[in-house]
Amino acid sequence: MLYRCIQCENQKLRHSVIWSACILIPVIPAIMGTFNYLQNLELLKDGWYSLWTQLSLFYASIFYAPLIALYASYLWRLEHLNHNWNQIMTAPVPVPDLFWGKLTVIFQVTFLTQIWLGLLFFLCGKLSGLPGFPPAEILLWLARGTLAAAAVGALQLFLSMVIRSFAVPIGIALCGSLLGFAFTAKGLGMYWPYSLMTLGMNSNRSEDLLSSTLAPFLLTLALFFLLFAGAGILYLKKADIQTR
Amino acid sequence: MGTILTTKSLSKQYGKREVIKHLNLSVPEGSVYGFLGPNGAGKSTTMKLLLGLVKPSFGTIRIMGKEFSSSTRLDILRNTGSLIEAPSYYGHLSGRENLQIVCRLKGVEESAIDQALEVVRMTGQQDKKAKHYSLGMKQRLGLAAALLGNPKLLLLDEPTNGLDPAGIQEMRELICSLPKRFGITILVSSHLLGEIDQMATHVGIIQQGELIFQSSLADLHAHSRGRMRLVTTNNPQAYALLRKAGMEVSLEDGGSLLLCSTEDARVLRCGRLLFENQIGLLRLEEQQLSLEDIFLKLTGKQVSL
Repeated sequence: MLYRCIQCENQKLRHSVIWSACILIPVIPAIMGTFNYLQNLELLKDGWYSLWTQLSLFYASIFYAPLIALYASYLWRLEHLNHNWNQIMTAPVPVPDLFWGKLTVIFQVTFLTQIWLGLLFFLCGKLSGLPGFPPAEILLWLARGTLAAAAVGALQLFLSMVIRSFAVPIGIALCGSLLGFAFTAKGLGMYWPYSLMTLGMNSNRSEDLLSSTLAPFLLTLALFFLLFAGAGILYLKKADIQTR
Repeated sequence: MGTILTTKSLSKQYGKREVIKHLNLSVPEGSVYGFLGPNGAGKSTTMKLLLGLVKPSFGTIRIMGKEFSSSTRLDILRNTGSLIEAPSYYGHLSGRENLQIVCRLKGVEESAIDQALEVVRMTGQQDKKAKHYSLGMKQRLGLAAALLGNPKLLLLDEPTNGLDPAGIQEMRELICSLPKRFGITILVSSHLLGEIDQMATHVGIIQQGELIFQSSLADLHAHSRGRMRLVTTNNPQAYALLRKAGMEVSLEDGGSLLLCSTEDARVLRCGRLLFENQIGLLRLEEQQLSLEDIFLKLTGKQVSL
C-alpha cells in the first residue's frame, strides 16, 4: 500500500515545477558562498574546507529549510486544489500511508537536491581555482545534512497539510531558519529543528562540529521526526476534510 | 431487495450547530436513490459522512453489511466509488495519468482505464491535460475515476452541477444506465426535483439536515395523484356524510373539502350524496399536485427547483 502511495506521489511530480526549484534554488547559495569565499581569501585559507563553510552556511541556514518547505507545500497544494483531498481520502489506502508516501517523496527530492549541491560545490571549487578534489568528509556532511532534513521535512509536511496557503509554510521555514542562527549561536541548535541542518552540514568550521555529539544529534532528530510525523498522521486521521 | 446502505440516527454538529439531524437513510440494493434537497440542506455533508471524510458526531453507518469504522473503512472504500462536491483531478497531468493514479490507489489493473474511459465516452480526450478540460469533461473524468475498480456503490454529489443542457442529459443517461450495465447501486444528490424524477427509483428528501421523506419514487408520485376540491354550503356536515359513505376525504382549513380521487364514479356519487342530503355544492374543481407541490408541501417553503 505504501509502495503504491509512493508511486502515485512520484507520478504527480511528472511535468511538475518542483524540479525547476530543485535545480535553480541551490544555485543561489552556491554563488553567494563562492563570492563570499573569493572576497575573503586572506582569511579563508583552508581551500575546499573554507569554500564549504561559506557555501554550506548560506545553504543550510537560509535556503535548505525553505526549499524543503517548498517541496512540501507543492505536494499538498496538489491536494488542496481541485478537491483532491476527497479523492485521496476516499481511496482504499491506510491514512498513515498517504503521509508516509509524501514524506518519502520529499526525501527523494531532498536527496537529489543534496547530490546537486555536492556537484555545485565541486563546480564552484573548480571555478575558484581550487586544486584536486574536495575532501571525502564533505560527502559525510552532505549525507548528515540530508538526514537532518527528516525533522524539518515531517514538520513542513504537517504545516503545509494544515495550512492551505502555499507561501505561509515557506515563510515559517524561512523565519525558523533565521531564528536558527540565534539558537545555534547560543548552543541550543540541537533543540530547534531548523538548526539541525546547519549542525549536520557542519557549516561554519573546518573541524567537525558534531564529532562528540553525534548520538544526541541523532536522538533529537529522531524525536522531532516522530513528533511531527505523528502529529501529521493524527491530524489526517481525525480531522474532517474541508475542501473549501 | 436488501439494503446496501443504512444509517441510524446519523448526526453531525459543528460546535452547537446541528447540520445533520438523526438521519435514518435506507438505500435499497440496485436502486438509483435520489437524495433531494435545497442547497445547503446537508446533502454534501451527508455524503462526506458516508465516506468517512467527515466524522459523525453520533449515529452509525452500515454499508454492504459492515458498520463503518476504522477497521472496515478500507473494505468499504474498496467497493465504493464517489464524486463529491466537484471532480478531483491533477491539472498538470493528462486524463489518463489521472486515472492511472486512481488505479494505483485502488489497487486496480491499469487495463480497467480503457473501459472506464469508454463508459464516459472520453477515449478521444484521454491525453489532454486535465486543466484544459471543460467542466463537463472533468465531471466525466471524475465519474470514470469513481467507476474504476467496479464499485458496488456509487455516491454522486450533484453530478450535473454546472454542466450545459447537453452535458446534463448525457450525464443523466450515463447514471441511469449504470445499474443495469454493472449492477451498481447509486446514491445521487440533486437540488433539482425534475432531475431526480428522471433518474431515481427511490427518493430521500432532506431539509435543514432532516430527512423529511423517504420512499420509492412511485410513492412520491402517489402523493401527486389528482384530487377534487369541493366547497359546499355546509362543509363539516358534508365531510361527515362522505366519510360515512366510505370516501377518502379531508376537511381543509380554507373552508373546503378534498376528495382524494378524480374517478368519475366517485365524483358522481359524491355529488349525488350531497344532493340527497340537501347540501348545496358551490365549487368543484380538480387539483393536480405536481411533484413541485409535494416538495413544497413536504418542505413547507419555496425552494429552487
